[in-house]
Amino acid sequence: MNRPMLKTLLPWLLCLWMLAVIAGAFFYAPSAAGFKGESARIVFFHVPQAWVAVLAFCVNLVASIRFLRGRDPLDDARAAAAARLGLVFSVLATVTGSLFARVMWGSFWNWDPREVSIAILLLIYAAYFALREAVPDEERRASLAAAYAVLAFVTMPFLVFVVPRIYWSLHPDTIIGATGQLKFQMESRMRQVFLASLVGFTGLFVWLYTLDVRLARVRMARSRGGEE
Amino acid sequence: MRGSTLLSECLAVLGKEFTAELRSRVALNAIGLFAVTTLVVVAYQIGPYKIAEQDRPHVLAALLWIILFFAATSGLSRVFVKEEDSHTAKTLRLAARPAAVFAGKYLFNLILLVALDAVIVPLYCALMGYAVSGVAGLVLVLASGAVALAATTTIVAAIIARASGSSTLFAILTMPLVLPLLVILIQGTRAAAGSGEIGVVLPALRGIVSLAGVTLITSVYLFPVVWHE
Repeated sequence: MNRPMLKTLLPWLLCLWMLAVIAGAFFYAPSAAGFKGESARIVFFHVPQAWVAVLAFCVNLVASIRFLRGRDPLDDARAAAAARLGLVFSVLATVTGSLFARVMWGSFWNWDPREVSIAILLLIYAAYFALREAVPDEERRASLAAAYAVLAFVTMPFLVFVVPRIYWSLHPDTIIGATGQLKFQMESRMRQVFLASLVGFTGLFVWLYTLDVRLARVRMARSRGGEE
Repeated sequence: MRGSTLLSECLAVLGKEFTAELRSRVALNAIGLFAVTTLVVVAYQIGPYKIAEQDRPHVLAALLWIILFFAATSGLSRVFVKEEDSHTAKTLRLAARPAAVFAGKYLFNLILLVALDAVIVPLYCALMGYAVSGVAGLVLVLASGAVALAATTTIVAAIIARASGSSTLFAILTMPLVLPLLVILIQGTRAAAGSGEIGVVLPALRGIVSLAGVTLITSVYLFPVVWHE
């Protein structure tokens, strides 16, 4: 199969995969015990969204470091694309988490440490874009945004791992437990759908990210053409 | 400064900061007046008797750090913004190595924060009736908090000075970076106030010191990029 055909097919495959995940989440996976009604099914969407938000943050860091080393404007475009998607997926994870909190604990927002963590992640993304907006010069904007992205990433481990462990949390235990051990106790069909959803959301991120970077590449080529 | 060492350059930058600040007193006035005004408003409106006994440890520790943090953000960005405003940044770039500039400005901000703590914390305890059982523990939390807070505010000040220099942008960029630190600081302050045992503040101290360490190391690596941009 040649490359252009693969490029056309992959989004359709991704679309089918996500439809299968949605169907699997509602009709194939059984209800989890210990949760109100069918609320636990949100795990198939909420956790992958939170995972993609953190993945986007990591991609943003790598692209920022690459920019600081090589000064390639495309790396800055990659960092901005990852941050944009990270912001969208953080919002989605916050909204789905709030819906779950409303059903389980009766309130959309409970100031749970994990809710605070995702809110701070949102603030970091918002601050990153506020900084980008404040600098008109492209090269300076790229450098300062990259520096801020690296600095923000440093606080991430404290946000995700330290703060939620200082305070008692309502949040169901994470996949990686408080002592660092890997916890993965799900019914087999739930696990299948959950893993399929993780793969699907990661694929969705990769697809959107690639589109954004390609668009940036076209814009750069056009502006170079205009200058010449 | 040919032949000068990093330390001598750093001390020269620190000395310059003190001379410039004592001449204009912009940062001192901003931080001092903001802190005192906020403290007076909080003490007047809430005071020692308007908080329920069971809420006092939580509310008093949080209020103390809100006053200290917002007072700090009102003046700490000046160290770099004033260089851009007065067009002296280029001369400073030629006169000292980036590491010396960062270290000198960081030490200046740290000294300002320690002075702020030394004035505001006793006043706060007196006005709010905040009885602290573990004074040594509180001093350790305040000192390590100043080290960590100065690290973040100094590098963010360098970034915003090269951006637009606006104090609003400084608050927007600083807030998400220091929120985990503030959470740990409030936790440590509450622990110190509640018990005379030094051991109760150790978990918070570990978090603060490690956060300060990684922020400082990252800032030292990032500063040349920001400074020479």
